[in-house]
Amino acid sequence: MRTLLAALLLLCAMSRPTLAETTIVFATDATWPPMEFVNEQKQVVGYAMDFMAAAGKEAGFKPVFKNTAWDGIFAGLAAKKYDAIVSSVSITEERKKAMDFSEPYFTVRQALIVNKASTAKTLADLKGQKVGGQIGTTGYFAIKAAEGVEAKSYDEIGLAMEDLNVGRIAAVVCDDPVAANYALDKYKEKLKIAAIIETGEAENYGVAVNKGNKQVLDMVNKGIAAVKAKGLDKDLKKKWIGQ
Amino acid sequence: MPEPEITKIEVGDGAAIPSPDDRGLVSAWWIALLGAIGLLIALPLIKPDPYLRILKFVPDGILITFEVTVLSISLAIVIGLLTGLGRISRNRFINLAASLYVEVVRGIPLLVQLFYIYYALGRFVRVPDLVAAVIAMAFCYGAYMGEVFRAGIKSIDHGQTEASLSLGFNHRQTMAYVILPQAWRTILPPVGNEFIALLKDTSLVSILAVADILRRGREYASESFNYFETYTMIALIYLLITLVLSKLISIMEYRLSHYERR
Repeated sequence: MRTLLAALLLLCAMSRPTLAETTIVFATDATWPPMEFVNEQKQVVGYAMDFMAAAGKEAGFKPVFKNTAWDGIFAGLAAKKYDAIVSSVSITEERKKAMDFSEPYFTVRQALIVNKASTAKTLADLKGQKVGGQIGTTGYFAIKAAEGVEAKSYDEIGLAMEDLNVGRIAAVVCDDPVAANYALDKYKEKLKIAAIIETGEAENYGVAVNKGNKQVLDMVNKGIAAVKAKGLDKDLKKKWIGQ
Repeated sequence: MPEPEITKIEVGDGAAIPSPDDRGLVSAWWIALLGAIGLLIALPLIKPDPYLRILKFVPDGILITFEVTVLSISLAIVIGLLTGLGRISRNRFINLAASLYVEVVRGIPLLVQLFYIYYALGRFVRVPDLVAAVIAMAFCYGAYMGEVFRAGIKSIDHGQTEASLSLGFNHRQTMAYVILPQAWRTILPPVGNEFIALLKDTSLVSILAVADILRRGREYASESFNYFETYTMIALIYLLITLVLSKLISIMEYRLSHYERR
């Protein structure tokens, strides 16, 4: 009995440090390689996961990732199903009205992906044709803004890539690291990156939290700043994006 | 000779068809209809932003939904008739083929079938999205419809077949001139039910990036973050459509029940 008690006490003492550490639950749509995706061991991995883990080490929080469908990811945040979103969310003025953003942790551009045989260089070259993007993404908004192009919205970017691969649509617009993953790796025989689309100013990924959630935002910001200051993000870029 | 008994078959999960005898103004159907219409008019009037914007955003989606529904049901009825006849065929090969089709289709969720026909088979045959959606819906509902036809044909008393054969009709003529015209009355109501169920299930084709009502709503919501407002309107639009359709089917059922009424 006494040894059992002692063991229990020891267990309590050992688990205390982890209890003191705050857990932040991040929602992520893990269909966006190499930023966030599910690997063959069914773990959510990617650049964003490593980045937040490193940030957590610096700022003293433990990130937990919750795989969530993109369509509805913002509604889930508003409903407080998780503390934050780290899912390659570009910081835009529209989105800033609905939620608060951390400092940027990655800068992206929008890439236009086409079949190898295509000569299109811009969205304007694709007038009258179908171009796909993921619903609710800046890539999709860029397609919709282009005149004369028929915009098609998909639930996942991979489905749009597959439709491009079999030739149902003429092009796909998405973030450049994702574009590189598909066009230079998975579908390298069939697809290519035609161009980087000018969407005005540079696009940055940020961690989204509910408006006024300073506690989480401050911690995340502290972590991001520390990771950048130590130059850890450069290692991560090399690891996941290869540049 | 005793009067032939008309069996009712209940299949599917379509909208509740209002009872044809219920003619009062205070019925669940009327309350739902007036409520849906009222909200669809009142909300955009009271709060044009975002409700009116949503209403302006989805109409082409309604058109697509109808297109998919009408094309799919037409094709499904043809497939269903052939399957129903196949299921009662005495040719063992035809019977087995039809039964196998029904067993396989009924055992696979519609969502999975849609993914399969569009994305999995897309590697081999390139069909446009709308065609893929119609084929998948018709393929799935054809199996359900086959069961409806089979039950309808089976519901006709065997004496009818015997009488027809003794009059010198062959099997094909018996089916075409004696059995099917009578079975039609039993078959139509559940077919109407399947029609409504299919209309609701077309919301699944939005995963194929087909721009139906639901996909249009999702596009609007993902850009504006007005989830509550958007899905409220989407639900009301679907409700209004199915309410009107279910009433039409109810009227049709009433007309067809001519011989049963006294």
